[in-house]
Amino acid sequence: MGRKWLISGSPGCGKTTWILNKIKSNQGACGYLRLIEQANNNKEKLPESLIDYTFLKDQAPHLQDLSDCSDTSMSQQKDFLILIELSQSQSPESLEPAELNPYVKSQLESLRLQPDRHLHFGRDSELPNNDTLVFKKLESWSLNLAKRVWDPQSLNTFWFELVNGAYGDVYRAKALMNLPDGQSIFFNWIVSQKGSQFLPLKTVSPPNGRPESPSALVIQGKGLDCIGIESTINHCLLNDALLEMHQTPLRNQQPEALRTN
Amino acid sequence: MKHAVISCLHANLAAVKAVLNDIDQQGIDDITCLGDLVGYGPQPNEVVDLVRERAIASCQGCWDEDIIEGLNACECSYPSQLAEKRGHLAHEWTAEQLTDINKDFLASLPTSIRRDRILFVHGSPNSQHEYLLPDMNAFAALERVEKAGADTLFCGHTHQPYVRELKNGSIRVRLQNTSNNKAEEKEINLPMRKIVNAGSVGEPRHGSINATYVIHDDVSGEVEIKEVAYDIRQTCQAIIDAGLPPIFAWRLSHGFEFAEQAEDASHVCER
Amino acid sequence: MIERWALVSGLKGDLETYELIQSDLKKARGVNTLFVLGDMIGPERNCDALLNRLQNPRRGELKPQCIYGWWEEQLLAEQGLRGEQKADALRLNKGEEAVTALLNAVDSYHLKWLASLQFGFIELDCGLIHGSSADIGDNLTSQTSPLILIDRLTRLDVNRLFTAHSTEQFHLELTGGGLDSQVKELNGESQHQQKVSKQSIIGIGAGANYTIYDVGSDKTHFLTVSGQYNTKGKGFA
Repeated sequence: MGRKWLISGSPGCGKTTWILNKIKSNQGACGYLRLIEQANNNKEKLPESLIDYTFLKDQAPHLQDLSDCSDTSMSQQKDFLILIELSQSQSPESLEPAELNPYVKSQLESLRLQPDRHLHFGRDSELPNNDTLVFKKLESWSLNLAKRVWDPQSLNTFWFELVNGAYGDVYRAKALMNLPDGQSIFFNWIVSQKGSQFLPLKTVSPPNGRPESPSALVIQGKGLDCIGIESTINHCLLNDALLEMHQTPLRNQQPEALRTN
Repeated sequence: MKHAVISCLHANLAAVKAVLNDIDQQGIDDITCLGDLVGYGPQPNEVVDLVRERAIASCQGCWDEDIIEGLNACECSYPSQLAEKRGHLAHEWTAEQLTDINKDFLASLPTSIRRDRILFVHGSPNSQHEYLLPDMNAFAALERVEKAGADTLFCGHTHQPYVRELKNGSIRVRLQNTSNNKAEEKEINLPMRKIVNAGSVGEPRHGSINATYVIHDDVSGEVEIKEVAYDIRQTCQAIIDAGLPPIFAWRLSHGFEFAEQAEDASHVCER
Repeated sequence: MIERWALVSGLKGDLETYELIQSDLKKARGVNTLFVLGDMIGPERNCDALLNRLQNPRRGELKPQCIYGWWEEQLLAEQGLRGEQKADALRLNKGEEAVTALLNAVDSYHLKWLASLQFGFIELDCGLIHGSSADIGDNLTSQTSPLILIDRLTRLDVNRLFTAHSTEQFHLELTGGGLDSQVKELNGESQHQQKVSKQSIIGIGAGANYTIYDVGSDKTHFLTVSGQYNTKGKGFA
C-alpha cells in the first residue's frame, strides 16, 4: 500500500531536508511534486522548484519527478511514496494550515493526486520543530542562472555579503551554483540557523564549456536591493575566455609548471 | 622624539581628520605617510589637499602609482574577479576626480623615505604591492629589512597594524662545491631588526571599524599602535553621494576592506 | 627504480658540449630525466643547431625538458615578446653590440618555441629555475647570504632549489638555527620561534659543468663533460 502526503510549512522550516530523508529511507518507489500557491504563467519550473528538484534528484537518483504528469504506474507499485511539497511564500496566520487554496486544489485534481495525509511544519509533532522566523510578508527575488559559471572566490565574497545583509535583510537564500571545474554546489541559508549549508552535488559536469545542469538563486527577505545583487552577480560570472582559462588546465592535467608573465 | 606614521588613507577624509587631530592633541609635529592616499574612498582631492597643506612627508602607495601610471597592478594581485572589477571601478572614478595638481603631487612621491637606519615604504622594499603580514616567514621578513639596509622598516599596505621584533637569529649551513672536497660548515648570526606596520587610516581591516596608526619614539625605540574612532557615517554617506558602489559603504561600515587582499600575500607583480 | 636527474644550463649554443653531455649520460646509470635550466642561447656563436637539436632529440638521447633563462629573456624582450620591455639588462651590462650579436645568433624561426618555455618546474619538493622566483637573473652563489636563500626557498615553497644563473656548482644545505619573532598587535602580543628547515640550494653549473641529482638518496654529483666528478668521484648528501 502506498502513501501520498502533502507537506507544507513556512520558508526555511526544513521541508526539503525532511523530504530527502523520507525518500532515502523509503524502500519502494518515490515520487516528488512541488506546488506553489499562485499560478505561474511560465511553463518552465520556477527557480526555487528547479533547485529543489535538482538537489533531490541528485541525492536520490531513483526519485521520480511528478511535475509533468502523475505517473499512475507508480500507484500500482508496493510501498510507493509520493511527497507533495507545498511552498508557501509567507507564514500562515495560525499554525493550522488554512484550507488549501483553490489553485492548489485544482493542480492536485488535474494531476489526479489526492493526498491521503497533510503534514504541516509547526503543527505536526512528527516533523522536526525548527526555529523559523514568523514573517508576515516577504519579498521574494529569484534569478535563473542556467549556463552561468562563477569565479569561485567571487562567489565566496558575494554569498558572504548577501547573507550578512549587504543587499537588504535576507531571511532565506537558496541556490545551485556552477563552478568552472564542473561542480554544482547547493547553497542553503536561513537567518535563524547558524551558517550556510554548502553541498556539492554528486553529479559533476565535465570541465568543457558551460554546464547543462540547472542553476538558480532564490532570495526571500525585506528591502532587497535587487539591482545591487544583480550588479554584483554580473561581476562574479565568468566570460567565455576566463571560463576556458579555468578549464584548460583541468582538461590536460600536466605536470605542475611555473609560469610568469 | 616621537613621530607618527600613518598609512593607507584611501580618500576617507573623516578618518584622516580624526587621526591628524589625535596626533595634534599629543603635540606630535613629525608625521610620515606610507602612501595610498587615494583609492575606493569618496574624497581623493580633499585628502591629498590636506596632506599637501600639512606638508606630510609621504611615500607613494600602489594606488597612488596606479592612478598616475594607469592600472599597473596585475590581475593576480586581486583575489577574485569581483574584487578586480570593483577595484577597476574605483580606479576609474578616482582618476576622473583627481585634479591635475593632485595627480602631479602623487606622481612626485618617492617609493621610499630613509632616515638614517629607518626606512619607510608602502608595501615592502621589493614592491609597493608586496604584503608583509605579521605571520610571514620570519627569515623572509628579516631579509626584507636587511635588504633595505635598515634597523627598522615601516610599512603599510596590509591594513593590519603590528610591531614585529626579529631577534636571536642564527643559521647553520653546510657547503659543498667543486673546488672543495670537504664540506664546510658555518654558522651565521643574524642581526636584530624591527618591522612596524602602521595599519590603515581610511580602510581598516584589523577587525574593527576604527582608523589605526602608530607612534614611534626614536629614542626609546617604543612603538605604540593607536586606534581612533571617526564618524564613519559621514564617509559612507559621501560614498553614496559620490555615486560609488553602495557596497563600498557597507563593507567600510562593517570593518571589511573594500576589496580583500590577494590570497598569496607574498605575491609580487612581475610587471 | 633509481631516479636520477641530469641538470644542465648555460650551453649558449654549444651543441658540441651538449652532445658530449648526452654521450656521458648514456653511460651514467639511472639518469632518466634531463632538465635544461635556460641560457641555451648566447651572443658568442650561432645557436640554431643546438636549438634544433633540443627540439628534435636524436633516437636514444634523453629528451630535454627546457625552461628559459636570462639570455632567452633578453632575446624575447628585444623581439617584443615581453610586452613593452626590451633587452635593457643586456644593453646596460654588455652594450648595444651584444644585443645585435644575440639577435644574429638565433633564427627568428625559434622564437615561437622559446616563447613557449616555462619559467620553472616544480618536481616533487624541488624547484628548478634559472635564477630564482624573485628574478630570472638572481645570482645565487655559495656566498649568498643564507637569509636570501631561505627567502628564495620560501617564495617557491620547496625544500630544494636548483639554480643556474651564477654558473657556480655548489650544494648549500641549511642544517640548523632559528629566529625569534615577537609580534605586538592591538589585541595583544605573541611570540614565536621559527626554526631553520632542512632545505638546500643547489647551483648546477653551466656549459661543460653539469649536475646529476639522485632523487632517492638526495645526493648531488657535480660533473664535467670529461665524465669525471668534479669532486674526484665523491658525491655529497
